[in-house]
Amino acid sequence: MGSGILGTGVSGLYAAQLGLQTTEHNIANANTPGFSRQRAIQGSNPGVVTGAGFLGQGTQVVTIERQYNRFLAEQVDRAQSSASELDSYSAQIKQIDNLLADASAGLSPALQDFFDSVQQVAANPSHLPSRQAMISTAQGLTARYQSLGTQLAQMYESINGEIKQSVTTINSYAEQIAGLNDRIGIAQASTGQPANDLLDSRDHLVAELNKLIKARTSSNSDGSINVFVGSGQQLVVGSQSIGLATTVSASDPSRLVVGLKSGAGVQEMPETLINGGALGGLVTFRRESLDRVSSDLGRNAVSLALTFNAQSALGQDLLGQSLLSPPPSGFSPAMFSVTEPVVLANAKNPASSPTVSAAFVTPIPFGGNFYTDLGVSDYRLSGDASGVVLTRLSDNKQWAGGDVGAINTLLASDPQGFTLSASGSLPAGASYLIQPTRDAARKITVNPALVADPRLIPAGGPVRTSAGTGNSGSGQISAGAVGPGFPAAVGALPINLVYDSGQLRNFPVGARVSIDGGPAQLIGAATDGVAYTSGASIILLGPANTTPPSSFSLTISGRPNNGDTFQLVRNSGATADGRNALALGELQTLDTMSGKTASFQEAYTQLVSESGNKTRQLQVISEAQQALLVQAQASRDALSGVNLDEEAANLIRYQQAYQASAKALQIGASLFDTILQIAAG
Amino acid sequence: MRISTSQLYSSGTAGIERKQDQLLKLQNQLSTGRRLLTPADDPVAAARTLGLTQAKEIEGQYARNQADATDRLRLVDSQLTALTDLLQSVRSRVVQAGNTVLSDSDRQAIASELAARFDEMLGIANSRSAEGEYLFSGYQGASQPFARSAALPPATTGLVGYSGDDGERLLQVGASRQLATNVTGSELFMDIRAGNGSFATAASGNGGLANQGTGLIEAGSVLDREKWVTALDGGFPWQGSSNRELQIRFSSVAGVSSYQLFDVSTPPPPAATVSPLAVSPVLPFTPGQAIPLITTSQPPAPPVSTDFGAQVVINGSPAAGDSFAVTPSVNKSVFQTMQEMIDLLRTPLSSSVARMAYSGQLQAHLGNVDQALVNVAEVQASVGTRLQTLENLSNNSAAFDIQYQQSLSDLVDLDYVKAISDFTREQVTLEAAQKSFATISGLSLFKYI
Repeated sequence: MGSGILGTGVSGLYAAQLGLQTTEHNIANANTPGFSRQRAIQGSNPGVVTGAGFLGQGTQVVTIERQYNRFLAEQVDRAQSSASELDSYSAQIKQIDNLLADASAGLSPALQDFFDSVQQVAANPSHLPSRQAMISTAQGLTARYQSLGTQLAQMYESINGEIKQSVTTINSYAEQIAGLNDRIGIAQASTGQPANDLLDSRDHLVAELNKLIKARTSSNSDGSINVFVGSGQQLVVGSQSIGLATTVSASDPSRLVVGLKSGAGVQEMPETLINGGALGGLVTFRRESLDRVSSDLGRNAVSLALTFNAQSALGQDLLGQSLLSPPPSGFSPAMFSVTEPVVLANAKNPASSPTVSAAFVTPIPFGGNFYTDLGVSDYRLSGDASGVVLTRLSDNKQWAGGDVGAINTLLASDPQGFTLSASGSLPAGASYLIQPTRDAARKITVNPALVADPRLIPAGGPVRTSAGTGNSGSGQISAGAVGPGFPAAVGALPINLVYDSGQLRNFPVGARVSIDGGPAQLIGAATDGVAYTSGASIILLGPANTTPPSSFSLTISGRPNNGDTFQLVRNSGATADGRNALALGELQTLDTMSGKTASFQEAYTQLVSESGNKTRQLQVISEAQQALLVQAQASRDALSGVNLDEEAANLIRYQQAYQASAKALQIGASLFDTILQIAAG
Repeated sequence: MRISTSQLYSSGTAGIERKQDQLLKLQNQLSTGRRLLTPADDPVAAARTLGLTQAKEIEGQYARNQADATDRLRLVDSQLTALTDLLQSVRSRVVQAGNTVLSDSDRQAIASELAARFDEMLGIANSRSAEGEYLFSGYQGASQPFARSAALPPATTGLVGYSGDDGERLLQVGASRQLATNVTGSELFMDIRAGNGSFATAASGNGGLANQGTGLIEAGSVLDREKWVTALDGGFPWQGSSNRELQIRFSSVAGVSSYQLFDVSTPPPPAATVSPLAVSPVLPFTPGQAIPLITTSQPPAPPVSTDFGAQVVINGSPAAGDSFAVTPSVNKSVFQTMQEMIDLLRTPLSSSVARMAYSGQLQAHLGNVDQALVNVAEVQASVGTRLQTLENLSNNSAAFDIQYQQSLSDLVDLDYVKAISDFTREQVTLEAAQKSFATISGLSLFKYI
């Protein structure tokens, strides 16, 4: 029976040794990421039958088992994927947040400086240094728009780069997972034992993959796993890695998007399918926030330029030039220049697709000033069997019509701030992306003619009024309000109105006159009288067929006597006239944007507040998600993590087991020696 | 619950990092003095801050414009005061010149003094601001507004004309408030109603000669403005639209001095002139009596009566055939009045008839000088009102500024007491976290085996 005793002792020694080794492995890997602690699982050897029953034959290590729970691991993966997405989104939007609101780098100070200088010109219209200062601050303002626009454009660039980088890393993970699938299959098939450390490596790779993109797995019977992303697109199938690819978006060539490899080509993956992980965060940020902020900033720049230019056109410069000047005239009606809306034809459009372009609508006057109707959304124009459809991408509102002209008609009553034109009819399947203001902030500049000669700033008004010096009544004439298209309204100056028995006569023949906005009265002859009401607004309208409608309005109040005259003359030599500069200065506080609901500053404040709110919201969600992640990790670590104190205890346990087995062996040996002594004796 | 060693370390360090993050933020707040470091800290407050900052800056700009406007109006005001003084001295000279015992040479001396005053007034009219812009030229800041035109014979001096315009130099002094910072030359010097402001009276001769009697017409007055305006605005049927003038003609009816009103207006040229039309019955005259300007159409026209709501007084005894004119006021520049006075004073008086005419004309001129004084006073009152408005606005602006500053401070500025107390608290908890971490990480079973 001696061999039995020895055998049992040796089995104990052997098991204790394996236990010690496993413990050492755990201690050594205490800080290895993704490592799950392992345990040597002992089982007793089956006994042999003796007369006294089954006699135990010692122990054996059945397997080395890793302490791992698939559900806990998946919980960590899910939490990790969300946390990474929020982290990456929040890191990006924080840049915008800081950029826009910076007290010195944001738009507000530049806007304020510019309008301060406009007021200075209004106060001192003939003072050249004031005019020069207005040009300089205008350049400062455009430089600020450009700099903000450029930084946003750089974010697009860097997102393109990061998408590429992420896809490369995802593909590398996919290949490693496929490789591990292969090795695990071989290892487990040949031994029938779990390949613990390989499994840990693979689980760790899946966890890392989830930091980049949300990935789900399913196991196969051979121990390999399949990995899916999006709504079930395969990334890894068994030992085969399929991977993702980057491709240029068909609708917007400046955008890199994620694609799936299919056959020989790459198929664009809808951005909404890419969620979770840093890549999901980037793509969502670009779609939800960056696009909006860029368009909003551009809208601000375009609205400023368009309204300012529209008001500028109603002025007169220091040289006495205005729209009334006979050609050739050096009058510069535009202060700023901006690029027209960008229209991108889809790369996959049918060959017969026409060229489509868009143009901003000239600002509409209200209360003497101007506003635009531009929004912050992009639009898609597409052709189908019944005609064309314009879709606003922010809310999918649609305008459908037979052709582009019909769409323009619809937009006239539901203004979006731009009109469309096409070189032909759109075939079914043709699609165009319209970005009205996306890149506009980067493209705004100051009219170089004004930079070269600040005297060209139209600070004065083009027409002045006076009451006749021989008047005997108390009638007074107002300075007059200049409206768009005024050259047609006032016709050939001077106009010399004569009061006669309750009527004003001598209006230019062919013009139309409206009192307080009432029906227009056509002036057929100079003797045609217009009833006089003290204080009523007399609106001169151009001839009936003038487009756009033109106007010049004035008021005469008091009691004129018969024969009293009132003159409208060209405002020549008016170097001290700052009326138009005052009107330009008023644009700062008037509601010039979003269909006269917001001023430049208010619209900008809204933009800052929106991105601030979004950043705040993301910070809060991100913190909550981080807490979830910590909890999930704690649950997993509670099961799989190495506790060194526990391992220390295990060391002692296995050491003692080893010592005990050795003692049993010693006793067995001494028993044998006793028998030998008897035999020798 | 089972704890893994790495959990112990990671949660320990995570805790410490969180505290450090808090401390860094507090430190940033303390060093900048701002509660809001990025808009995300408080998006609503950040948006309000931007709005308030703009409002404050705009108010600041208005305040600068107010100061600017005040400076300009004060300059105008000082010129107006100088002009008033000047006109006062002119007036006293004219009163002096009315003394009929003065010899021709005495009047010459007064004329010379008035000529000097005239040049002085031209200087005021052409005064410039510190920036070199003419004060009284409307929009035409760069061109001299008042200059003599070439003399038309037989006159030896040309008239002073106005080459500026009626432009108001406006400044934005409040959110919806634009204020003119100038007075135009036309308003101040040119558009002065002659006579009493509504109509002018004058002796208008006796059959090609000057009036032969001793009648002197006073400036007259409008008693009922509404009637006056209505009568002029189509109420009285003038027989022509040019030279609207009523004439009071004297005659002797049975030895009684009587007067009659005539409409002497004519159609505009080239139409032929028409003869004067009697518009009242012949009425007896008592020297010094008020003559009401009430007309009644004479036969054969149906009797229609028009009341001008005005009266004139004629003193002395007009001779039969003498006539006096009443014309609606037209504008007469103060320069023209001055020039006419100077010319009048330089004319020698040879007869009693000439003296009578001289007195009448001088009286009319005195009236015109008074009108000019009233006009300057009105303009000065308007400038004073504007200065008053500016002062009120300026007080408002100052109050607004303090209010905005207060609101901004509430939104943005750091409550130091709270921040320092927070900082100390975070410091204590960080130290506790560090100490406890050191203690826990030092606990290891390996120490004992």
